[in-house]
Amino acid sequence: MKILIADDEAMSRRLLQKTLERAGYDVIAVENGRQAVNQICTTDGPSLALLDWVMPELDGPGACREIRKRKEQSYVYMVLLTSKEAKEDVIAGLESGADDYLTKPFDAEELKARLRTGLRILGLEDRLVEAREEMRFKASHDALTTLWNRGVILELLERELSRSHRENATTVILLCDIDHFKAVNDSFGHLVGDEVLRETAKRLLASVRSYDFVGRYGGEEFLVVLNNCDPAFAFARAQEIRNTIAQRPVQTSTGPVPLTMSLGLLLSHEWGIRSVVELLNEADTALYAAKRAGRNCVKVASPCAASDIPGSRVDEPARQR
Amino acid sequence: MGQTPKKGEEELAPLILDHQELLARVENDREPLRDLLTIFKEDFPRQLLALREAVRARDGGRVATAAHTLRGMLSNLAATQAAATAARLEQMGRKEEVSRFQEALTAFENDAKKLLPQLDACMAEACK
Repeated sequence: MKILIADDEAMSRRLLQKTLERAGYDVIAVENGRQAVNQICTTDGPSLALLDWVMPELDGPGACREIRKRKEQSYVYMVLLTSKEAKEDVIAGLESGADDYLTKPFDAEELKARLRTGLRILGLEDRLVEAREEMRFKASHDALTTLWNRGVILELLERELSRSHRENATTVILLCDIDHFKAVNDSFGHLVGDEVLRETAKRLLASVRSYDFVGRYGGEEFLVVLNNCDPAFAFARAQEIRNTIAQRPVQTSTGPVPLTMSLGLLLSHEWGIRSVVELLNEADTALYAAKRAGRNCVKVASPCAASDIPGSRVDEPARQR
Repeated sequence: MGQTPKKGEEELAPLILDHQELLARVENDREPLRDLLTIFKEDFPRQLLALREAVRARDGGRVATAAHTLRGMLSNLAATQAAATAARLEQMGRKEEVSRFQEALTAFENDAKKLLPQLDACMAEACK
């Protein structure tokens, strides 16, 4: 465990350092409050600190205040070392953000015991942060596939559409649906169905760039958002996804399950300013057209009759569904 | 024949150097003890000079600062008597009791005179 000690007096510093090293701490020793703030506020800076009260440049309480102001990400447990014993001094020290104080000259056993208290507090903080992060993950991800959940992928799509409109770029919507998924569930059971969904999610994630988004839109439907790409790239990527799903069966606990996927593709720049719901409806129409065209294919949603990717544009009957 | 101090008086009188307390502070380890004594030997003359100059200048703030540093150093060595005298000087400095500075400095220097040979003996012991 890293610990910082800040004391302008060389003897105190040496004594603290030796006592703490003997207790198993990894000690960083500095001579004033300013150096203490700089050390603690670095990435991976120590989260345990012993600060002398009276120091040049910046005193202990001043350092506590600055650290509390600057360090918001993770908690730093700070103990003020003081020869001040007056109640008002102690109150001022604790109000500056210190967690505890210790009177100098310190007793080695008391010092170690106080630091163990600090470690318990830091351990508790770690567990709270972990729990918060877990809750944050659960609130934003699909439990089965760990992809973005429906709410989040729609928010991300909305954000990307606004950005591409501002930057005159294109956001691509890919609405993907596993073909005959009901038959998978009916033939192999829902547990195998879940395995298929998890593997599909993995393959989708592996098929896009790190800055694209993949979410679970519904039961066996996935929404892929490709940022800032041209039509040729979008269509190639959609075909690649289709191939990735179809080229080898999913290995499940009951054996291989062959799969295919139908995709509806929409290029945002072709649609002007439309709401997310409208665009998703159009992508859904394209997906439905892909299903009607025999599945395992990609269809492009287009607001105009002209088609730049022959054979892939949605015809009117399909769009009427 | 001198009078033997009563038991209670003996306990109240501050020790020049509390050996037991000093050893406890370094957890009975000679290496940090040697380090502390070496640092003290190097720093003490400089800090004492700073205190003398502050007293000569009748500067309460500087007297308090120099006496505070000396008090810390002496407390670390469990030099109880000199640390207490330094603490009194620190308080006088804070309260700007200028007229008492010289007298307190003399008392401190006397304490230091008694302390230094004991520290030398302690160092010799630690180097054995």
